Amino acid sequence: MNKGHGFVKFTTQIQHVDSVNRNPLPATKKLFLTLALLVSGSLAAAAAPLLRWGADPSGCAPYVFSDPANPQSYTGFDHEFAEALAHEMGMSAKFVPTDWESIVASLQRKEFDVIIDGFEPTEDRGREVLFSKPYYLFRLQLTVRKGEQRIHSIEDCKKLGIPVGTLVNCASSRMLDEGGYKSVGYQDPVGAYQDLETGRIDAVVMDVAAEMYYARHNPKLKAAGEPFNTGAYVVGIRKEDAELKKSVDAAIDRLADNGTTERIFRKWELWNDEQLSLRTKEPAKYEVAKSTFNWSEGLVKLSKAALVTVLIAFGAMLIAVVLGIPLALGQSNGNKALRALCTAYIEFFRGTPVLVQLLFLYFGLPVVGITLPGWLTAVVGLGLNYAAYESQVYRTAFEAVPDRQWQVAYSLGMRPLQAFRRIIFPQAFRIALPPMTNDFVSLFKDSSTAFAIAVWELATAYRELANATQSYLGIGLVVCVYYLAMSLPLAHYAHKLEKRLQRRSSGILSSGSDT
Amino acid sequence: MISIRGLGTSVQGAKLLNAVDLELEAGRILGIIGPSGNGKTTLLLCLCGLLPFQEGSVRVGGRTLTAADSGTRSEALWEFRKKTGIVFQHLHLFPHLTVLGNIIEAPVQVCRMPIAEAVRMAMGLLAKLGIEQHRDKYPEELSGGEQQRVAILRALAMNPEVLLLDEPTSALDPIRSGDVRRLLQEFAASGHTVVIVSHSVRFLKGIADRLAFMGKSEMVEMNTTAELLDNPRDERTREFLSYSELN
Repeated sequence: MNKGHGFVKFTTQIQHVDSVNRNPLPATKKLFLTLALLVSGSLAAAAAPLLRWGADPSGCAPYVFSDPANPQSYTGFDHEFAEALAHEMGMSAKFVPTDWESIVASLQRKEFDVIIDGFEPTEDRGREVLFSKPYYLFRLQLTVRKGEQRIHSIEDCKKLGIPVGTLVNCASSRMLDEGGYKSVGYQDPVGAYQDLETGRIDAVVMDVAAEMYYARHNPKLKAAGEPFNTGAYVVGIRKEDAELKKSVDAAIDRLADNGTTERIFRKWELWNDEQLSLRTKEPAKYEVAKSTFNWSEGLVKLSKAALVTVLIAFGAMLIAVVLGIPLALGQSNGNKALRALCTAYIEFFRGTPVLVQLLFLYFGLPVVGITLPGWLTAVVGLGLNYAAYESQVYRTAFEAVPDRQWQVAYSLGMRPLQAFRRIIFPQAFRIALPPMTNDFVSLFKDSSTAFAIAVWELATAYRELANATQSYLGIGLVVCVYYLAMSLPLAHYAHKLEKRLQRRSSGILSSGSDT
Repeated sequence: MISIRGLGTSVQGAKLLNAVDLELEAGRILGIIGPSGNGKTTLLLCLCGLLPFQEGSVRVGGRTLTAADSGTRSEALWEFRKKTGIVFQHLHLFPHLTVLGNIIEAPVQVCRMPIAEAVRMAMGLLAKLGIEQHRDKYPEELSGGEQQRVAILRALAMNPEVLLLDEPTSALDPIRSGDVRRLLQEFAASGHTVVIVSHSVRFLKGIADRLAFMGKSEMVEMNTTAELLDNPRDERTREFLSYSELN
């Protein structure tokens, strides 16, 4: 059977070459191409017109992902399909890695010509892009932990009020939203299944393709119920490229007819008889997910997200403010070992991106048995990070308090801790307050990094809602208003407090040192 | 009373004090004179237990600080520090506390004096210097003279055996003026001791009943004020006094 397929493939390729030759390029184009070849001396492949296709390769096996055997290049069924499609169209495929959530916006910005990334037709996307004919029909699969007793179907999740993890901005997330399910959006399937494994969530719904690759062979997980809800993968094309759509559709038909599609999906163990319906002349039946955004619901969602942002910022600042003190003291007053330890901590957290630190805490700690929920990871992660910065603010502030203040306190019989608490700290605090306020405001903004660990805070809400509605401007303005409503009062009160304290602290810096 | 025996200290290899001896009975006001950089301030810091020393000992009001204890965070050191009060040249009032707060801070925090009692005590001290109306002001709202009075009261509020003043001439007027002088003399007369370091002989002449002259890192001679000024025994003292005629 394999041999037969190989033969079929071979002949189709021959035919294909023929068909290209039978449609000679216009003379001017030929001349141009010849010139280009002469000038650049580059590969012959460069001569064929490019079909730039966009997909998100991060954590999205088996669609498009870095080839584990050869990390320099990509693999996946969509990768193979895109290559075959371009080839069928007499073009040369060029892969443009992009971000899944904003993939439609990137298409419209002409970063690439088509989307081939398990892209499902949805009502809202239909307003923005053209859909090709479907090239694959998929179903959704619910996955739970091995020992799970309560959940046997997606309906159970709804009844029990259990949040279901899924990929953001896809048919299943639309389906969950519309059906009134509680959901948690993930950037990639890896994160969702990892959280399921560690118990951060109790159920994940994903396209069968992703489920097969990431969950089916995981001994800690099991499928709950049968696959449900047929959907389709299509190629996304810009509205104005109606001609391109025509040739893509024709190529999809030819790939289905000549068995290339089947060969690709068989290779990835994703072939089933349901796909045969795509080869009939009648349009295939699949469900188009609706989007249900309305402004009042959106505002409620944004408000909730803003609350999460406030919680993260305040929690993290509390940790940073408290932890910064021993760090600063250890670094300036500790013995050699303690000093080195504090300096190492500070340099580590200041020298590595906070985003990496959050990912490390979120995915790394469960390996050693510590599993924190996303919001708490964000609070702790940002808190640990900002503690490094606060320690430096404190250190500078303490150094700005003259040594003689310590000596006066000692001469009055105070013990070190007493002198610190009653004399040094209040003065240093007044010096530290303005930079601390700045840090707090930037912490509000940095809380947006929590989107990477599936925390539904304001920036995540913006991305998801804006992507779902394509209303980047409108929702963006609302989100900015939310951020300002949080940071402006903060800055205002801090400024007032500073002014009130300033009067009393200006003496510190003006008093000289004794001879 | 103060008793210093063989006091010697070095900082980073530089000998700042060398075998200093000094005996001063209670009730005296001692002025220490000498050129700048000869270790006068260093001596004061050792006297109040703020600067570790390597040789000798310092005894103040029945408590002895040995060289060994001076460099550690020992109980002996904390107790010793309560025996002395110091007023620095630049005063260093606590900028975040009011006049009243500056004075009652240590009695309340260190001696656990009830706040009401501490306030009564502080108001009594402020009234002696006629600045009780400033009780709620912050240091930077005061004139230099007023700040110096507060700094002196802050030290006196802990009721030390010995009061040390470092170069008070930068805000000289209040020391010369009757009320502060009376306060210091009253303090000395009640069985305490005052040590004032200054390069100004003229200033010390008016208040000190004993004068000591410090040469490079060492105590050269000490006598009654009149005797030291009229009849200096050491060549270095004579030379210094001849230069400082106008001070």
